[in-house]
Amino acid sequence: MADIASLPGGNSPWRSAGRFGLYFLLISFGAYYILPLIVVLSTSFKDLDEIRNGTLLSLPAEINLESWRYAWSEACIGVSCTGLKPYFWNSVMMTIPAVLISTVLGALTGYALTKFKFRGANMVFAMILFGCFIPFQVVLLPMAQSLGFLGLANTVPGLVLVHIVYGLPFTVLFFRNYYVSIPDDLIKAATIDGAGFFTIFWRILLPLSPPIIVVTIIWQFTQIWNDFLFGASFTTGGGQPVTVALNNLVNTTTGVKRYNVDMAAALITAAPTLAVYVLAGRYFVRGLTAGSVKG
Amino acid sequence: MTNSMTEKSLPAKRPLADWLRWNVAKLVVAPTFALIIFFVYGFIAWTGYVSFTKSKMLPTYSFDGIYQYVRLWKMSTWHVAMENLLVFGGLFILIAIVLGCLLAVALDQRVRAEGLLRTVYLYPMAISFIITGTAWKWILNPGLGLEKMFHSWGWESFSFDWLINSDMAIYTLVIAAVWQSSGFVMALFLAALRGVDSEIIKAAYLDGASLSRIYLVIILPTLRPVFLSSFFILAHMAVKSFDLVVALTGGGPGNSSIMPANFMYEMTFRRNQIGLGAASAMMMLATVMAIVIPYLYSELRERKHG
Amino acid sequence: MATLTIQNVKKSYGAVDVLKGIDLELENGEFLVLLGPSGCGKSTLLNMIAGLDTITDGEILINNKVVNDVHPKDRDIAMVFQSYALYPNMTVERNIGFGLEMRKVTKEDRERRVDEAARMLQIDHLRDRKPAQLSGGQRQRVAMGRALVRKPEIFLFDEPLSNLDAKLRVEMRTEIKKLHQRLGTTMVYVTHDQIEAMTLASRIAILREGEIQQFASPQEVYERPANMYVAGFVGSPAMNFIPATVVSENDRLGVSIERTARGERSSVFLALPDDLQSIGEWIGREVILGIRPETLTHRSDAEMTQNKRLQPFDCQVEVLEPTGADTLTYIELGGREVIARVNPYNTSNPGETMAFMVDMGKASLFDPKSEMRI
Ligand SMILES: Nc1ncnc2c1ncn2[C@@H]1O[C@H](COP(=O)(O)OP(=O)(O)OP(=O)(O)O)[C@@H](O)[C@H]1O
Ligand SMILES: [Mg+2]
Repeated sequence: MADIASLPGGNSPWRSAGRFGLYFLLISFGAYYILPLIVVLSTSFKDLDEIRNGTLLSLPAEINLESWRYAWSEACIGVSCTGLKPYFWNSVMMTIPAVLISTVLGALTGYALTKFKFRGANMVFAMILFGCFIPFQVVLLPMAQSLGFLGLANTVPGLVLVHIVYGLPFTVLFFRNYYVSIPDDLIKAATIDGAGFFTIFWRILLPLSPPIIVVTIIWQFTQIWNDFLFGASFTTGGGQPVTVALNNLVNTTTGVKRYNVDMAAALITAAPTLAVYVLAGRYFVRGLTAGSVKG
Repeated sequence: MTNSMTEKSLPAKRPLADWLRWNVAKLVVAPTFALIIFFVYGFIAWTGYVSFTKSKMLPTYSFDGIYQYVRLWKMSTWHVAMENLLVFGGLFILIAIVLGCLLAVALDQRVRAEGLLRTVYLYPMAISFIITGTAWKWILNPGLGLEKMFHSWGWESFSFDWLINSDMAIYTLVIAAVWQSSGFVMALFLAALRGVDSEIIKAAYLDGASLSRIYLVIILPTLRPVFLSSFFILAHMAVKSFDLVVALTGGGPGNSSIMPANFMYEMTFRRNQIGLGAASAMMMLATVMAIVIPYLYSELRERKHG
Repeated sequence: MATLTIQNVKKSYGAVDVLKGIDLELENGEFLVLLGPSGCGKSTLLNMIAGLDTITDGEILINNKVVNDVHPKDRDIAMVFQSYALYPNMTVERNIGFGLEMRKVTKEDRERRVDEAARMLQIDHLRDRKPAQLSGGQRQRVAMGRALVRKPEIFLFDEPLSNLDAKLRVEMRTEIKKLHQRLGTTMVYVTHDQIEAMTLASRIAILREGEIQQFASPQEVYERPANMYVAGFVGSPAMNFIPATVVSENDRLGVSIERTARGERSSVFLALPDDLQSIGEWIGREVILGIRPETLTHRSDAEMTQNKRLQPFDCQVEVLEPTGADTLTYIELGGREVIARVNPYNTSNPGETMAFMVDMGKASLFDPKSEMRI
């Protein structure tokens, strides 16, 4: 829309000054966003002497991966000095099934709620949607009790269950909003052609769904991987996901404070979601702004 | 499709197969719906009930009226938490929206390297609040962080101790939360700006309006829905914020930067005050609903009109 | 081939009655056109025949069997949608073959039939394209192919041509007609274009606000419209409606029309033909005279002596609109603007008085209150 810049009559000295100001603004805020990452990265490569003698922005003398190795396999989290490794795998084991199951259920539910509307379907959707808005504090207590009752307390399957349940409102919302924009005639035509509920889903809707599948998977992946509240509330010791372990690692106060290890641990924890964002973030923003946020 | 193939029961040729065919949609929705009913509505009801009991370490089920709520509102920590929420929420929402909007307008001026800048503004969104807190804790660390950097650049009198200053700790949360979320707001605004009808702008340009006037008077008013969405999304995040506090300030110094979510966690899981924790959780739910219900109402109404 | 019977079918969405008791009966191989303005319930009725919408009340029978509760896939119908509803992720070939695949037709059989349908519709060179790579007309053909290949008992068309440009629409209309003649399958065709309806239908059902106004052959609908709504909907330019009074002159019943010519009020008497002489009870009462523009033309004495139903009158010409083949001549009768279709070589200039004749044998009379045909 800023085609105006290229229209005639805009080439005054004011315009050049404006452009300069514009880039100044963009770049200084770029620095606000990017510098913390650079600081964390460079700190993780320094040794403790360098940290004490240098400043935040001074660059490490060499790329020293010692603190990364230490954070990964030796750092103490509470009393056990295993590094982040086992917790990282906890998170992987928790995130993958939770993302997949909540996405599949969300897709099927969103499909049934839009393309095979039964009486009360809108009401059902509204009730599911409500789940997007609750502060999770209102379910922490009963959930802790229920997990204990089910024998899932402090286990990865327990967290998987929690993340599926509280991710569902979002996945249903995403798929429902995507599927309402797909013409009903397509489903009518397929019904007349003799395809049933699942055949229509599998053969016609699913091949049209990659954009929203990408959005949902990225959303769920970052939400679940980054979760701290549920992990901190329902797990202790070896059952913790990596975010909780990271927090414990940073707050474990035995011996010297090793900032470089903290930073390496933070980066290890952030790596999967950052990787997903860098690889597929474009599709995420596009899909999110096109579909779900507009409503 | 509209109301189709579900309402009428069928002749008794192959009853089961036919019944399945007409009800499959309901069957597919059922598991999700059941999970939500139980884990959302059932659990809220449970928490609500417990908030009216004197449960301590274990839940008890004898009804005791609003005892816990009275107790909650008499606690100075809870008042601090609610005040913090107000200060943090207000600043966080305001700054994130202004910044997000500003950056979106700036990015919309056909700048070079737009894709790169967008990525830079947006990546914090992918990161956990725990990581954000850890990183900013290190950067704002009074001994080794920003302060030291400015000292080494020759600005000896520079001091930045917000993290350990009980009056200022809450603002460090704002800095970190804005860092993490404003890029997302920017993305929302940018998408909306790209959707503004370019003919309106050309018409205004022909009428002789300057660029800044075009933005202020014509374009931004059309983005009202985005302002609203951003406001509600950010408000919702503010009420829920828990991890950032844990990682950045730990609620301290003292309880000076505690938030309702941390209060609830502390009471429930550390101090064995389940009833009180439940009451604070219900207060949080009420706060969120006070924000969300008007939002949903306005959304639905607009869609009906649209 | 099949018969289709619709008995007192109703549909309501909540408190809104969309269809208010529809009765239709189709023979084997008929071509029914449902004609009506937007929102009158045409698609709803079609969807109910297809089984895509539930029936609130009444019965639909195919081959004399009630199908109210039969699943669409078991009704042996095929439907062409206004939006074509092509599966975007499938090639043309798979789009056409999908229905057969779902019915577990063997691969060779399927290929043969897809081939046949594609050739019939001249789209075999497009078989490997996706719908997005097709033009509007090509998509339309694929949608038809998808219906054709199934060899159903009944074809349903929901405004299949309304997304095409004018020229293509005429071409496809002819093709659909040919198709019907070749296959002889019962077809139900929804449109709001009265020319499509006239050219295609063996019978037309005109719908208005969920009620059938007339269910008859195109010729009958055109010549003997059941009410003023149908009369006005069918035909272009529309039928002229002229307020008139039934009078008796020299023992003949006729209508008298008021008019103002050069500032003077006078009246025109037009005798009614013999088969309308039975409306004696209407003498002295107001009626609406309905005259199609082509039955109102310049006077030719030769024709008038041959055909006693032709009635003469003179009138001042107001405006001329040449269309090429004919010139539409606007005159004023009974306080209304009336159009006559005149041979371009026999027109008078605006302002001049011209001699007209009207074929009262093709005129209709309507009750001004109920708007029904008399
Ligand atoms: N699900 C629904 N709920 C309520 N009213 C509906 C619903 N579907 C259709 N209608 C109403 O039923 C009436 C008939 O709709 P229908 O689609 O059959 O019209 P149509 O004759 O096909 O019009 P068009 O020529 O525009 O396609 C319309 O007034 C419409 O508003
Ligand atoms: Mg229609």
